[in-house]
Amino acid sequence: MTRVETTHAWRGHDQRLGRAAMTFLLFLPALIFLAVWFVWPLGQLILLSFQGEDGAFAAYQEILTSEVFRIVFFNTLKLAVLVTIICTILAYPAAWLLTRVKGFWFSIALYCILVPFWISILVRTFSWMLLLERSGPVNNFLITLGVTDQPLKLLFNDLGVYIGMVHVLLPYAVLPIYSSMLKIDQRLLLASDSLGASGRTTFFKIFLPLTLPGVTAGATFVFLLALGFYITPALLGGPHNLTAAMLIDSFVNERLVWPLAAAASVILLVIVLVVLAVTSRFVSLGSSVVVK
Amino acid sequence: MRRFKPSSQALTQIAGAVVLAFLVMPIFAVVPASFNQASFIKIPPEELSLQWYSAFIEDRGWMSSLFNSIRVALLTTAIALVIGTLAALGVERLPKRMRPFVIGAVLSPLIVPVIMISIALYYVTRSIGLYGTVTGLALSHALICVPFVLLNVSVSLQRLDPNLARAASGLGARPGYVFRTVTLPAIWPGVASGGAFAFVLSFDEVVISLFIAGYGAKTLPVKLWEQIRVEFTPVAAVGSTLILTFTVVLFILTRLSARKRNSAAEGSQ
Repeated sequence: MTRVETTHAWRGHDQRLGRAAMTFLLFLPALIFLAVWFVWPLGQLILLSFQGEDGAFAAYQEILTSEVFRIVFFNTLKLAVLVTIICTILAYPAAWLLTRVKGFWFSIALYCILVPFWISILVRTFSWMLLLERSGPVNNFLITLGVTDQPLKLLFNDLGVYIGMVHVLLPYAVLPIYSSMLKIDQRLLLASDSLGASGRTTFFKIFLPLTLPGVTAGATFVFLLALGFYITPALLGGPHNLTAAMLIDSFVNERLVWPLAAAASVILLVIVLVVLAVTSRFVSLGSSVVVK
Repeated sequence: MRRFKPSSQALTQIAGAVVLAFLVMPIFAVVPASFNQASFIKIPPEELSLQWYSAFIEDRGWMSSLFNSIRVALLTTAIALVIGTLAALGVERLPKRMRPFVIGAVLSPLIVPVIMISIALYYVTRSIGLYGTVTGLALSHALICVPFVLLNVSVSLQRLDPNLARAASGLGARPGYVFRTVTLPAIWPGVASGGAFAFVLSFDEVVISLFIAGYGAKTLPVKLWEQIRVEFTPVAAVGSTLILTFTVVLFILTRLSARKRNSAAEGSQ
């Protein structure tokens, strides 16, 4: 009985204090880790971006005024936008298929989306290199079909980069769109139908608008990931498929100009934060993440 | 019910199926390439052979990179599990309105472009002597793994009835004992799937590794990257197939344990 009494005596003010201390202790490892291994390195890098040889903003000035850097940043944005559009268009029917199939076929369809999430981007990119080669299976297939009489150049150019990037980023678009389709109240479609609306009207006036939050969330994920992409464009692209991430890499490893690398990555981060701030006003990105 | 025209429904379903096939089919192109007999890559191979697997095993560079990958992934998993699980337990004790801010803070490394994290850590690890070490690389990988452990454990914690822990402590169990006998068994599935996620993320990771691994902790993906930038060899296909195998095996294991967990939950109801 004594034990129960002590627990009772323990309640109240002391316990609340102990509880708060306990909660803080649980967060302590995460707090120290993020401070030392995330905030401090990023802070160092941001400081570095202001330590150019010719004044605090020299690095930013060089990047924003140089023709080459402007072209690379523009190309990166263009690539990210186009990949986002293609992914969203392809993801829509795939997400819809997921809502229509049941049982065994649903599991198969879901695994088609989930398995690529787990598999190394490098391995997936390497697979495309083997498939798109001059004498690879895709070219052989096209020649057998009679589409072309000699092998097409599918690798080390825009086409290769787009195929690879869309393939890697597509699952990120499918899942949020699928979850927004699941949330649709089927009675709305029934109501529209019984009021005499055509299938086309029901789709464009009811179904599509209700899935827009999912489309926005999916498009945002794809766009942000595409913006910082490195592996796939570096392997599948040609010399002029330089992206911002590859530029930053060359600043660090070839030209050894740290302030420029730091400034370029800060610019990239600012673009990411602006996009996030704008889209999170329209949709709750957090709730779409948890679906994963 | 009519709603959408059957013909357009069928067309959309076919389009969806084509997209799903596009997602999955190409991934496994490296597997037949690794069993090739010829010294150049050909898909499908004309004659099958295991000779490139023995070439892989006899090559010290490939083998040491494989062992480095396993070492880094195990250490990453341990670090991420401790930090992520404790943080998830902490989140559960916070008032509901504070939770999104704390979760957002832990998830923030996922928002920053990987290239920026990579060069920042490259810069810092060189100055503190952790560049090119297994420890430095594992800590860097943990940065992107902790959020997934936190999310996985949080999901299991939300399913746990808080009255169970309350009942246990009301019956006189000490907090440590309650954690070991009530909380931990209940959140174990979340911890296990978070751990599997962390292992795979670390085992697959390329960009951070390219900057931090150096020579001392060169992982399999880094070795593979260096190789395929120069030429496509069947040994590179063997390396890719090994990465693929690790991932698929872990994926199947987590799916099986999830299924077991679900059927157990249904049985108890």
